[in-house]
Amino acid sequence: MATINNCNLPEDLYYLIDKHVWAKPLADGTVRVGMTSVAGKLAGGKLAGATVKRKAIGKEVSQGRSIATIESSKYVGPVPAPITGTLLRGNDKLAADPNIAIDDPYGEGWIAEMQPSDWDGEKGALASGSEGLEEYRAKLEADGISCD
Amino acid sequence: MDDEKVMIIMTSGPDTPRRCATPFFFATLGAAMEYKVTMFFTIDGTLLLKKGVAETIFPKEGGKPVSDFLQDALDAGVKFMACTASTELHDINPDTDMIDGVQMVGGAWMWQEAESCETVLTF
Repeated sequence: MATINNCNLPEDLYYLIDKHVWAKPLADGTVRVGMTSVAGKLAGGKLAGATVKRKAIGKEVSQGRSIATIESSKYVGPVPAPITGTLLRGNDKLAADPNIAIDDPYGEGWIAEMQPSDWDGEKGALASGSEGLEEYRAKLEADGISCD
Repeated sequence: MDDEKVMIIMTSGPDTPRRCATPFFFATLGAAMEYKVTMFFTIDGTLLLKKGVAETIFPKEGGKPVSDFLQDALDAGVKFMACTASTELHDINPDTDMIDGVQMVGGAWMWQEAESCETVLTF
């Protein structure tokens, strides 16, 4: 786990940096996706809801399009898909406690799982490893974001 | 799925500040869910689109003005349509008094749009 501007960012994930979401390939060829700690910071506090779009399940969603929404008393916004693929399932635990998406964004608080349409083609454009984290650092510094 | 349309009809205005934030919040939320969201302003709702009004209305004391919620909705891509007849009710000049980004329509437009929407909410 790397810490950049006090934001926790694991090195073993693939990031769509502009949207503050991550993707992690699973052993069965599917991909788990979620929000980064940066997205949690930008949402600004306790969440009232983290809701996967039910009608999108079973359908292909393009990279960057919304698969879920998060809402707090101060903020509402989309959780964009880090990759193109079929939305398989949302994380059922979010209904009982949406704040796991902020408190444990890389563990219990994952958002959804997808069947990628072209993982090999898309993964190269996602930020990953130490080089990817340097890109993320540059983004955070350019935008003046810190997870203090 | 990307073509799913929803509409929020906004009739509340400056006389009821507490009713003036949530409709914009719901509109922004709908846009985040990738619905095509339209807000139709009529009766007192139209007053919120008069220049300089939304900045002065606070749904919660010490909280954000309605203009912040309104701007979030516009930024999210929500379309604002206003009822021409309601501008006459309030002596608003639709050519000069309204904020940018508002399209004026008649009542028949509302009926036809409502028919083509998945969901219509009224506040």
